[in-house]
Amino acid sequence: MTLIHVGTGAQPHDFRAVWLDGHAARAPEIAARIEDGPVPMLRLAVQGAAEKAWPLEEVRRLPDQAGQGQIVLTHPSDPLARVVVSEPEACRLIAARCRNLDRAPPRRGLGRIALWAVGAVASVALIILVLVPQMANQLATYLPPEGEVALGQSTLGQIRDAIGDGSAVGICETPEGRRALDEMTARLIAQTDLPYPVQVDVLDNELVNAFALPGGQIVLFRGLIDAAEHPDEVAAVLAHEIGHVVNRDPTRTALRTAGSLGVLGLLFGDFAGGTVVLFLTERLIQASYSQEAESAADAFAHGTLARAGIPPGALADMFERLRDRSGEEPGVIRHFLAHPGLGDRIAAARAADADRAEVYRPALGEADWQALQRICITPGD
Amino acid sequence: MDTATLHTDFAGRRGPLFGLALRTAVLTILTLGIYRFWMKTRLRRYYWSSIRPGGLPLEYAGMPLEKLLGFLIAVVFLAFYIGIVNLILMFASFAILHGNVTAYALSFVGVIPVIFYARYRARRYVLARTRWRGIRFGVEPGAWGYALRALWHWLLTLLTLGLYWPRKTFWLEKYRTDRTYFGTQPLVQGGRWTMLIRPFLPLVAGVAGTALLGLAAAGGGLPLLLGLFVTVPLTLYGLAHWNVHAFRRLTNAKTGGPVRFEARPRVWRVLRIYAVGWMLIALAYAALLTLFAVVLGALTAASGSFAAMSPNEIIEAIPRWAAVLLGVAAYFSVFLTYGVLAHVFLRLPIWRHYAETLTIHGADAILPIGQRARDEMERAEGLAEALDLGAAI
Repeated sequence: MTLIHVGTGAQPHDFRAVWLDGHAARAPEIAARIEDGPVPMLRLAVQGAAEKAWPLEEVRRLPDQAGQGQIVLTHPSDPLARVVVSEPEACRLIAARCRNLDRAPPRRGLGRIALWAVGAVASVALIILVLVPQMANQLATYLPPEGEVALGQSTLGQIRDAIGDGSAVGICETPEGRRALDEMTARLIAQTDLPYPVQVDVLDNELVNAFALPGGQIVLFRGLIDAAEHPDEVAAVLAHEIGHVVNRDPTRTALRTAGSLGVLGLLFGDFAGGTVVLFLTERLIQASYSQEAESAADAFAHGTLARAGIPPGALADMFERLRDRSGEEPGVIRHFLAHPGLGDRIAAARAADADRAEVYRPALGEADWQALQRICITPGD
Repeated sequence: MDTATLHTDFAGRRGPLFGLALRTAVLTILTLGIYRFWMKTRLRRYYWSSIRPGGLPLEYAGMPLEKLLGFLIAVVFLAFYIGIVNLILMFASFAILHGNVTAYALSFVGVIPVIFYARYRARRYVLARTRWRGIRFGVEPGAWGYALRALWHWLLTLLTLGLYWPRKTFWLEKYRTDRTYFGTQPLVQGGRWTMLIRPFLPLVAGVAGTALLGLAAAGGGLPLLLGLFVTVPLTLYGLAHWNVHAFRRLTNAKTGGPVRFEARPRVWRVLRIYAVGWMLIALAYAALLTLFAVVLGALTAASGSFAAMSPNEIIEAIPRWAAVLLGVAAYFSVFLTYGVLAHVFLRLPIWRHYAETLTIHGADAILPIGQRARDEMERAEGLAEALDLGAAI
């Protein structure tokens, strides 16, 4: 191989440099020389020791250093030693002649890093996906009912504040409407074994939604009652939420969130935008929790409605109404919503219709249904 | 030349640092945060090599991979701690106290000793990877002892409404310094805690004045609030005064055998650096905002006739993908801009000022100082990294 040299070629270049031997803090100035030959060398006249000869090909400089006009050189044969070069011509020659000046030194311990990386990912996945949910499920069943009730009440307060514009959203309770709602609830829970009494409230808001909180607190939004065309549909939604209460889903979720959210925050901590990743990840996990829970609550509702003499198909009617209003979200987006495909659930409810009781009794009589529809309209308004 | 006195040069410049900070920050975002260990390492190399006592630069010899490894180990430990302990605390809090505030409070309190522990270890790691004249710095183990003392001093500080602060600062600094070595030479924090009382007074005056005015105003003397124009700037000045003068007195009372230090940073200079720095950062944000507005306008123009459209129509006219892309870009550029500009306009000038006002006396005694053994620190600063205590650098 022919080496073509730039610059001074065969002319050796002598200069002074600071030598740091890595054994003591002395920093002597020594004579140094860059010279050609079969192997171009950096020769260092180290005092009190044999001359050091570093092949230019093997010389490296410290990366990411501040300041022009100074380079700090190293060589693999002597990892602690440094040569500080400030002479301009020497700096120029070194930059031109040392071909591997900026090549990274070989890395050690990559295997161990990979092992720990796999271990860390696996154990975090295990903690978030298995350990925390399992423990949350177990602990939820040991939680005393009073604790759950208190938690549900404080959460309801937070939700009312969050939805309302400036003030908490009002709870609707005209006496007639309240009575109708209680009658419907009593009929649904008549044959159910509940850990604590169910408390159903209507919030004065146009959202078409309903949810359950820890401790038996169920919330219907006025918008849902407005959207329903028959009392059976409201009863079907109520039965579904009672299913969540019986399964203690809200309590599980609260405990699970407490555990897993902290771990995720840890991982994505100080990377810019971590909160977005965090939110999406948490949403993903919640959705997969909820798909099981939702199906279980649906199944509970089917049974309860059938026993109460209300056709489970009413749940399908309600879902169809929801779908017509919003259109089912396709693909990826659906995964971020807490409900599994509505189509599947409608089909399940229709199938359950076959099991309904012989005698049909609407969830509410005509007068009571009107009272429920007007539960948010206080006389005199 | 007087070889016994070393002045400190600072070789860092805004341009190269801007390039380095910007490139590494973009890579960090593109790699979902993994590159941050490389970013930290490279920035530290730059800052360290900027500081040149007696003309010879400091060297940062830490490696990115050891930081990544330390972080992974810490994540495994903390995932257990946070996942399981938080869950149990939450459960206990619901079950016994019927509320979740206690759980959050307890879980935070439980992390506090770990925070002090992590801080001490992070400092130990950084100094173990710092070299000057080819010689390593080093810190003796002692993180749990530090955590215990820090807890105690912080408790006293809280109980005295902050008046204990100078004593806490002194004793924690002494604990750290007295375990610090340059090669074979131990460092000692001399002086007494009472020397930090004077630097603390302007801050006390500012805070106390603000509090008293607030109380008086709440009692009906509303015009007294005008006094805030005096007490709030006094508090800000007091904060800078405390930082600068506490640093001066502590540094000037440190020794390494016959070697002494002299630090002379100035309060007004520090205040000026912050004022100018914040102004420049604000200007950069304004420029960025203008740029986004222009891009938004161009996109709107490109997607159809834009004259005589209402704002709503304009928003609808922007292609959806472009809006998403623009939103993501805007979101990250806010973080990125701040991170990069804080290096260029705040951190670099502050470091430069503190470096250039540092002098080392009795430096002849440095020459015979020998090397110390490598402190492996396998877990590096992983715990501090995972707890997000790493600050900026």
